[in-house]
Amino acid sequence: MSRPPDIRSAAPAVAGRLYNVLSLLGVYVLIGALFAAGRLISDEFLTTSNLLITLRSVTLLGIVAVGVSFITYSRHYVDLSIPGIMALSGTVAVWALKYGFATSLAAGLGTGLAVGLINGLAVGYYRLNPIVWTLAMGSVLSGLIRWAYAGRQIYPDKATPAGRAFLQLYHAEVLGAVPLVVLLLAIAAIAAHLVMQKTGFGAQLKLTGSSYEVARMTGVNVRRTVAIAFVISAGTSALAGILLTSFNKVGAFYIGKGYDFAAITAVVLGGMTLAGGRGTIVGVVGGVTAIALMDNVMSLVRIGDFVIGEYPKQAIQGALFIAIVGVHSYWLRKSGMDDA
Amino acid sequence: MREIETALELRGVSKRYPGTLAADDVSLSVRSGEVHALIGENGAGKSTLMKIIAGSFDDYTGEVLLNDRPVTLHSPAMAKAAGIAMIQQELSLAGPISVAENILAGRLPSRRGLLDRKAMLAEASRCLSLVGLGHLDPLAPAEEISPHEAQLVEIAKALGRDPCILVMDEPTSSLSREEVDRLFEIIRGLRRRGLAIVYISHHLPEVLAVADRVTVLRDGRKVATKDIRDVTAAQLVEMMVGRSVSDLYAERTTTPGARKLSVEHLTRRGFFHDVSLHVCAGEVLGLGGLSGAGRSELARCICGIDPVDAGRIVLDGRPLSLRSYRAAVRAGLAYLTEDRKAQGLALRLRMGGNILSALIPRHSRWGVYSPGRGRGVLKRLVGALDITPPQPGRLVGTLSGGNQQKVLLAKWLATDPQVLILDEPTRGVDVGAKVVIHRAIAELADAGKSVILISSDLPELVGLSDRIAIMRQGHLVGEIGRADATEASVLLAANGEGDFVRS
Repeated sequence: MSRPPDIRSAAPAVAGRLYNVLSLLGVYVLIGALFAAGRLISDEFLTTSNLLITLRSVTLLGIVAVGVSFITYSRHYVDLSIPGIMALSGTVAVWALKYGFATSLAAGLGTGLAVGLINGLAVGYYRLNPIVWTLAMGSVLSGLIRWAYAGRQIYPDKATPAGRAFLQLYHAEVLGAVPLVVLLLAIAAIAAHLVMQKTGFGAQLKLTGSSYEVARMTGVNVRRTVAIAFVISAGTSALAGILLTSFNKVGAFYIGKGYDFAAITAVVLGGMTLAGGRGTIVGVVGGVTAIALMDNVMSLVRIGDFVIGEYPKQAIQGALFIAIVGVHSYWLRKSGMDDA
Repeated sequence: MREIETALELRGVSKRYPGTLAADDVSLSVRSGEVHALIGENGAGKSTLMKIIAGSFDDYTGEVLLNDRPVTLHSPAMAKAAGIAMIQQELSLAGPISVAENILAGRLPSRRGLLDRKAMLAEASRCLSLVGLGHLDPLAPAEEISPHEAQLVEIAKALGRDPCILVMDEPTSSLSREEVDRLFEIIRGLRRRGLAIVYISHHLPEVLAVADRVTVLRDGRKVATKDIRDVTAAQLVEMMVGRSVSDLYAERTTTPGARKLSVEHLTRRGFFHDVSLHVCAGEVLGLGGLSGAGRSELARCICGIDPVDAGRIVLDGRPLSLRSYRAAVRAGLAYLTEDRKAQGLALRLRMGGNILSALIPRHSRWGVYSPGRGRGVLKRLVGALDITPPQPGRLVGTLSGGNQQKVLLAKWLATDPQVLILDEPTRGVDVGAKVVIHRAIAELADAGKSVILISSDLPELVGLSDRIAIMRQGHLVGEIGRADATEASVLLAANGEGDFVRS
């Protein structure tokens, strides 16, 4: 049948493609700009040791962000119990050191995954609001740790081989001089990328994030899909929590504080919008890198006696988050892709 | 005789989107006290023109005159102030708040900074009585009234600002036949009061019933404005598509085969009761009835989307126990939803991804999904359904309504279903897309598959079905064979009367 060619505009399609490219490139452009700024501000910036410190400082955040991006991708925003999971996993791992090093790691990870499973059941299967539920869960976890140890911190026993191994964990190097944490981040990021891009689960997660109802009416097991996203996020949080505990040499309820917000900022900065179903892990890794560089560049600023302290940094990070979400929404609305 | 006044006039109005003219030099005039219908296929420019009148664009060209005075409509507020009221296709009432607050949204009466409840109720009642809803409790939450009443409340809300021009976009799409008739009575009442009404619709019988004049648009341009007494539906269709659609419904010749799917004594309390029916291989079973008769609910239960209270479903002689829609799809069932935007298509994903979305499990091995395995079926369906533009990389949200509906059909055809249940497969689509979808349905049946067709479009139901089962108020009340099926016999049975209703 001959029909006249569709007269509807090609513009939305072009804008759409442009948006996809920009939101991914955008963060790498930002990284480039930060490099230039760093170079201008301080001679220290482009030294190997400074960049290595920067890279290391951000690996744990990277591991957390890679996991939580599954939740953002599924349009369930974020897991606010991330700090709680990190603290609990670390504390449990320290506690379990008396049963050996391997048991300790398994117990820490297992605890985190168990919390993720509960989150997944509550949000995925019982459709509770993810923000409210995970906020409450975080409070419960933090309270439990304080209650169990009467607010005290617990220390790995340096006298045992397991304790020494645990304290060495964060600083371990493998394959010559590659830090173990960097390797773990690389593995997590590559695995997450493959899961999102190449698996049936990833394709169904994208559909679920784009439109929950449509996914349900396509025969996707949406409840399980969302639940798995929460378990993945809890798993990476647990891993990061154990590593952070090893770094701090102490298990305590406050470990992991702020990681939830920093992670979601990195995710959104990397082009994964809160509206779900958009963005890539490549972008998220870029977001994490940008946050690290920004932090580093800000700490290198020295104008006379003036330095940017911890609190203004935090405020700047918050403002950045608001700015990105605003720009994203504006872009999507302008290009007519805002269907939500 | 009253002097004919022009209430709204467009002179050479154009609106350009990057790369295309969505409205191209359109001139038309709408008189006070007339219902002026605006028709055309999807993408013909109806919505664009309506949006210009509603003040959605600040960059249209040409002139708009209200009561012979040029006006600028660069924002919705300017349009409202000029006396233009819009009634959108999608209802815009806020569910949890009261009908009265919905009607007076944005202009709630206040006294000393507090809500003046008495004045609010009085004004809401006045607006409601304008649309014959004087009996409705203005304090009832908007979510508790029926879709029909909600549609009328929308009109009441628009009338409350005392507009001189009322624009209605597909106001009948969620209404049953009787409700449409009641709506038309109200529209005629408004016309007598001197309101100029712009009525946008796909539904030609409705246009012929309610409009005084009709303007046909095609590809952004005006084809003609005609007095309704001078045109027939066939002529309008010809003007809309630019070619004659000689026969929308080809005669089907195949005879149904063995019994494919049986539904036995199926009940979902509160929705439908003790429904038994079957569909054979190679057969199109129509499911007729008024809106709210329980047809969609029955379809959802057959597919395991909603739970059933009693009864069973038999496919190929074997009882099915479906605990999820996923299981139904695996068993060879498919349900094309009536709600394309909310439940059918992920609008922000690509066309190809949408078409293949139900095949993800089938195209995955060891968890690894290979979309490439769907390339063949994708190409075949895009071609067979004439989806324009044929670019699988396009975001579905950027396609026209008719092409979106084809994509939705393609998504389910891709699963190669044994039984396909179609719920309003052509609601709101243009004539061209309709023809393509009808042909695809007939071909599916000819290939030996079973089709259950739920449709409020009577010519479509009668033209495509081999047999029509009629539902009324949750019960199966009768069945009409192909030979006896006419629009009249179906409509009569749906209202519980006539020869085909079992006593």
